[in-house]
Parts: sequence; C-alpha cells; structure tokens
Amino acid sequence: MNEQFRVSQKLGLMFKPDESVPKDIQSWALSQLHKKSPAIGIKSVSRVGKSITTSGVTNWPKHLQPDLEERAKRWRIQRAFMELSRKEEKSQAEKRRYEIENFFGETDALKFSHRNVYGNDQLRVRFLTFWTNHFTMGNIHDNQNVIGHAMDEAILANLNNNFSEMLFKVTSHPAMLIYLDNIWSAGENSKHTRLCKNKPDCHAGLNDNLGRELLELHTVSPAANYTEEDIRNSAKVLAGWGTHLEETPKKMREQGRTTNHWDYFKKDYAEPGKKMVMGKKISPGKRGLRQLTDFLANHEHTIKHISTKLCQHFVSDSPKKSDINQIAKAWRNSDGDLDQIHTKVVELAIKSKEAKFQWPMTWLFQVVRLSGATYFHGWDQVYNWYDDNIIRNNEIFDELGQSLWATRQPNGYSSNKEEWLSGEMFERRIRFASAIQRGGGTHQLSVDKIMNRIGANNATRKLVDSVGMKEESRFIALMCSAELMGLENA
Amino acid sequence: MHKLNLTRRDFLKTTGASLFLAGVPIPGFTKDKPPGTISVILLEGGMDGLTAVPPFGDPDLLKMRNIISPKDYLKLNSFFGLHPSFKVLAGLFANNQASVVHATSIPYVKRSHFEGQNMMEGGGLSPFSEGSGWLGRALELINTPGRALSLDMPLILRGHNENDNFYPASIRNSSKLNTKLIDAISMAHAIESSNVFSKISNKSKNSVIDIPRDPASLAKYAGKVMSQDEGPLASVIRIPRFDTHARQGADTGKHADLLGIIDDVIAGYREGLGSAWDRSIVLTMTEFGRTVAVNGTTGTEHGYGTAGILAGGTIQKSRVISQWPGLSKNDQFERRDLMATIDYWSVCAACIEKTLGLDHETIANKIFLRPKLPRVFDYIFT
Repeated sequence: MNEQFRVSQKLGLMFKPDESVPKDIQSWALSQLHKKSPAIGIKSVSRVGKSITTSGVTNWPKHLQPDLEERAKRWRIQRAFMELSRKEEKSQAEKRRYEIENFFGETDALKFSHRNVYGNDQLRVRFLTFWTNHFTMGNIHDNQNVIGHAMDEAILANLNNNFSEMLFKVTSHPAMLIYLDNIWSAGENSKHTRLCKNKPDCHAGLNDNLGRELLELHTVSPAANYTEEDIRNSAKVLAGWGTHLEETPKKMREQGRTTNHWDYFKKDYAEPGKKMVMGKKISPGKRGLRQLTDFLANHEHTIKHISTKLCQHFVSDSPKKSDINQIAKAWRNSDGDLDQIHTKVVELAIKSKEAKFQWPMTWLFQVVRLSGATYFHGWDQVYNWYDDNIIRNNEIFDELGQSLWATRQPNGYSSNKEEWLSGEMFERRIRFASAIQRGGGTHQLSVDKIMNRIGANNATRKLVDSVGMKEESRFIALMCSAELMGLENA
Repeated sequence: MHKLNLTRRDFLKTTGASLFLAGVPIPGFTKDKPPGTISVILLEGGMDGLTAVPPFGDPDLLKMRNIISPKDYLKLNSFFGLHPSFKVLAGLFANNQASVVHATSIPYVKRSHFEGQNMMEGGGLSPFSEGSGWLGRALELINTPGRALSLDMPLILRGHNENDNFYPASIRNSSKLNTKLIDAISMAHAIESSNVFSKISNKSKNSVIDIPRDPASLAKYAGKVMSQDEGPLASVIRIPRFDTHARQGADTGKHADLLGIIDDVIAGYREGLGSAWDRSIVLTMTEFGRTVAVNGTTGTEHGYGTAGILAGGTIQKSRVISQWPGLSKNDQFERRDLMATIDYWSVCAACIEKTLGLDHETIANKIFLRPKLPRVFDYIFT
C-alpha cells in the first residue's frame, strides 16, 4: 500500500473514493487530531434493483441526538409503558412504537456507524473507539439510552483535553455508574445506611464494582499491587454518585439538588470522613471523586498500563518497549495531555513499518469506505425499513462478534491479534466482503481502481488475479488479503 | 425445570453463552480411543458457591447471608443443600450421577475477573503466563485436534494447531463459501493466518449445520456429536454474568436464574449424550467465589472459595467432597471470603484422568505445570 493508505489503515478508516488523498500524510494525521466535525450520515436509502439512491450526506438531525435530560425522560416514559404493559395487553405495534421513540441504543449505534463510514474525522473516530473500549460501558438496565451520550460528550469531547478530565467525566457519567452498579452503593456509615439498619426490609451499604474496575481496568492495573482496602476505599469515594435513569426530577432535586444525571451526588449515601487510596488522602464529600481520578490519572502505573494499550492498538501487534516508553514519556512530560500523547502515538504508528491487525469492526468500516458502498440504513430507517440486501446495523455487530453496546465484560475487546484468530471470525470477513460487494450499489469502485488507488502490493495483486475475473471473488480476495487485514504477507 | 419468563431472543441476549467442542479424533489415527468425554461449563463473573450449594449446617450461614440464601433447598446430606434451581441436577444426585466439590477454587486470590478467567482457562502458574489452555494441552497430549463452537477460539482450548471452531453465520446476501477462492486467500497469507483460512476451506466442503445458539440447545448439540464414534472428546460452554454485585436474589432472582441455566445445560448434555453419558463427565468452573457477607446492594463482592459441580455417568456415587473450613470471621480467607481447602486443578486433573486416559503425573507436570498437584481421583470416581 502507498504510505497514505498504510497510515490511514493503521490510524484511520481509509480514504473514501470522493476524498482527496493528502500528500503529507503525517501533517494530515496530526491535523486530524484537532478536526472538529459533527456527526454526519444519511437520511434514507432506497433501492431499485442494484441501483441505490441516498438522500446525501448531511448532519444528523438534532432530535436524534437528545441531551441527557431528554434521554432520561424517554427512559421514564418507556419504563412506565413497560409497567403498564405487564398489567394490560398492548399490541406489538404499540410496543414497537414506544421502543422507537424512547430507546436510543440502536439509533446511537447507527450514528456511530455513519460517523465511521461518512465522517471526515476518521482518525478521531478511531481514538473515540479506542477510548470507548478502554472505558467499556455495556448495556445493563437499559443504560443503552446514555452510552452514546457518554461516547460523544465524555470521550469525543475530551479527546483534546487532559486524560484526567476524560477519566473524571467517564467515571461520573450515568452510563458507567449504572453499568458497574454504583448507583445503588452507599457508604457503610452513610446516613442512608444508618437509617436503613432500623428498618426491617431495608438493606444498604457499599458495592465495590466500579471502585475495583476504576483501579484495575481504567487506571493503574493490578501491576500497581493495590490492596482490597484500597479497592474498598475507592468504592467509598464513589458511594453516592449516580442514580437510576427513571428517578423523577422532583426526587433528584430532593436528594442531589440537581436534575443533572451527570453531576449527581447523593449526600445521604456518601461515606463520611477522609479515605486513603494507594497512599493518597482523599477528602470527604462530592469533591473526593475528582481528587481520586486526578491522582489515578497521572499515576506511574496508569501511564505504563495505558501507554502499552495505545501502542498495541495503533502501533504494532508486538509493541516494542522503546515505543511504549516514548508514549509514556510524552504522557509524563505533558502531565497527561491527550494531544501530546496521541501525537506521539501517531508519530510512532507512522514510523513503525510493522503490520497492525485490524479489529473486525474497523476492517468492515474500512472496506465500506474504500469501495464507496452504501451498506448502512439511513437514520430514519433504524426500526422500520427492511432490505433483503442489507442486514440491520445491530445484526452486523452481532455477526462481527464486536459491539460497543453489547452486554459484555468490563475489560472490553483485546487488541491482541491472537484473540481474533479463529476460522469463524475470518469466515465473517469473507461473507461481509461478499455481501458488501453484492449489495453496496452500482457506484462502487472496481477492484482494479481500488488496488491502483491504494497502491496494492504485488502479493495482493497476484492473489486477486489468481481468483478469476468475477468481480465479487476479486473483491473478497482483496479485502481478505493479508495487506487489507493488517497482517504480514506470506 | 426452571423457567425463565423470556422469549428465546431475550434469552440469547441475556445469556450470550457460547459452546466449544474439541478433540475430534483424527480419522485413521491408530491409537487407543480415550475412554470418555469431558465437558467444562465456564461460569464467568464468579459463581456464588454458598448460594448454589448452601452449607445450611453451618450456623454462620444465615447470620451472614440470610437475605440471599435459598430457603427451599434440597438436602444433600445433614450439612449441605442444593439450590432449588437445580431440578435436573437434583435427580442426578439421587441416581448417583452427580457430585459437588465445596470450599474449592483455582489457586488465584487476587479477585480480578480478567486475571482469574485467564488463569482458569490457561491453567498456568499465574495469570497470562500461558498462551495455551489446560484442555488444549490435554488434547495435544493425546494428539486429537479440537473444535470450538463459537466465534472466537477460547484460551482453554488453545494449544493444538489443528483446533478449529464453528458458529453458524447469518449474513444476508452473502455468497456461498467458495473453496477455491478461500484456498487462494489462504495461500497468500503467512502461516498463522493461512492456517485459519485453510480451516474455513475445509468447512466450506461440508453442508451447513444450523443450531440454535441458546446454552441448552448448544449443550444438547455438543452431547450429540460427542456421542458419535468419531465425535469430539471435549466441549466447553461459557455462561457469563455471574458477577452479581447487586440484587443477587435468593430462591429466585438473578443468581437463581443463572443456576437454572447451568441446570438446563446439564440436562442438555444428558439428553444429547444419550448412552455416551455413562462415559462422560461435565464439570463447572469459575474464576472465584464471592464474599461470605452480603454487600450494601443485596449482592456479593469478588471472593475466593466456591463450589464445583460435577455430573456424568462416570460418577459411581454422589457425594459432597469437602474439607469444610467454616464461615466464621476467623475461618474466612482474609476475613471476608470462603476459604478454599481443595485445589480445583486437582478436580480438573481427576476428570482428565478419568475421561482422556492420561496418568496423573503427566497431567500434573505437563498440563497444570504443578508436579506436586494432589490426586483426588478416588474421592470423585470410586
């Protein structure tokens, strides 16, 4: 591959047929780090035979990107309807209508796909994906309504900020507080727990789920050798943060003096007194969490842990110690400035000529972009459109075995190539390449044009030429070549 | 049988179980066929052994965890009970075809899911120390390739180059697999990925099998193919979501539903295996148990000791195998968890010895890398 496409494979999502390919790829990549672009996508797709018409690429409509309050309100409406439908019979059509109007998981996931396929900020989207996976938030108790919000507002909005800011914003976001059970946790000596002790059917106290994963997965990792006491104290700092999405504004005002789910701290659930976490003294009350996340954000073990992850995700399948150290150095020198950290990652990824295996979802987006296929529904078709040729957005991710909305373990998807070497995983790539070529529309670039544009290497050209003249076979061979999968050639 | 009030689709969404089959004998391979089949149910998230098999004879049990303990348990003996979700397992107990090992764990005490799961599948001396899995190494020793039924190839089965996996695809408008095309792709790849494509090539020559993806159906299917003459010798099913930090439930509820799935899976194996059940063992394993005390959100935190469930016709006499450590604060591991007094690797080793015909010394040295691993075979299989 030529340098432009090699870099956009490693760090981005490949250049679309209508995109101009930059001459100076490193400057382009670094400028992408600061690219501001809204979510864009397509409204509707219609098909006559093989010919596809779309409404054109424009900004996603505002009403499909509601704020947190609106998302919580819709959740309350949906919950009330579900309660009601237990008592009285509701038609399937009505149930579906409520789901369409009030649940945001599928809509947000399609928005994510559109961002990947149509966006002009491919490198930023890759970093968004990396960090969303680092801070895994699976769908539990229908926090699907706010996961997409966390991605946009806690992660993407902080890509040019300090890591400590992103860490705090994610940790205090309802998507995370719900996913890791923190919304129920109360300090052992909190007012809530003390009052509860005198009531016969009341049970209250600490839940250490988020406190533990904050240390283990999001920051210092087990290499830091923290103790169970540290985990419990971390959970005590977190006690009081967050509430159910269905909480009424009235009750929220009573308990937390706000109706903002993203800044919600229940004083009555908080553990009084100072806490010690890994030798750091944390103040009581609401400000304690920020102190804790700030302390963890620049901890030496956090720097090592996340520098290694970044390196394995973007630079090389077998990251070199010296590369990891360079990222860690950029982190230390800038006190965790993500711009500086990402800049170093970009430089190293370009410098390293080693192959980097691409995740199934990243590969799929790259294939769609390279060919110019239309392979995703429009935003007004999330629930109500059926096309023989295209499977639904959420089904695509199910089949790939990778989704940022799936209920899954909080350690997220591995960037280790070994975890993805399976016949079934590779078979999906063959099938998706086939389906994209067959169903993606007549305006797709031909295999020859794609190969010329990316400067396919001789091994890839030889492979493509060996499978005959059928365009579909040639397309599958190209997209499943070692070169396009980010693997070494034979 | 325990019924979940869910549609099949919801059920699949909630459980996300996956099945792995392994150990298909190489046709024409002249070697004594191993005596049985082994199936492992991986309970991800940390199964609460004190709820699954409540030691009701211990006076501290209800003091510490009344709110999450089942009241309607079946008495296994004067000390241990069986959770009411285990309907099929209870019947197997009555017929001397099931046992429980209690106060046991793999030797991992740091309470991280991801380290613990890696160790429970890898079977090495520490987390992330092995690139292969303990069952994969066992299959390598008897030289039988494995087959997994899932999108990924789980660590527990890695360790044999011929291992393969299977999971029915459902991608609209994709063409039938073209063997010649796949062979060409395979040839253009370097050895590691080339191997993977060549497995798809082999599969493309066979007819498509369509099996539902829910755990009980997967277990039934696994049992059926394992019962065949040239069938696989090992299978693995994963059941996630045992990490019940909040609202764990007791006789019913979240954890009870998950125990019901274990029961369904055992029933599936029993039915699928048919007469091969007599030479089979099914065992559960989990990365750790849960705290003795209930936490503030009527759930439990990550712990240490737990229970292992064994079922199969290879068991001669049902029993609860345990050296009970007690539940009082002083008896607990680090004053919070059930102490583990039996190394669960010994239990896995005994199951391998019984079904794959390897001797204990080989298993201890080459599979679990622990020459001093105790042999508990007689406690389980005589």
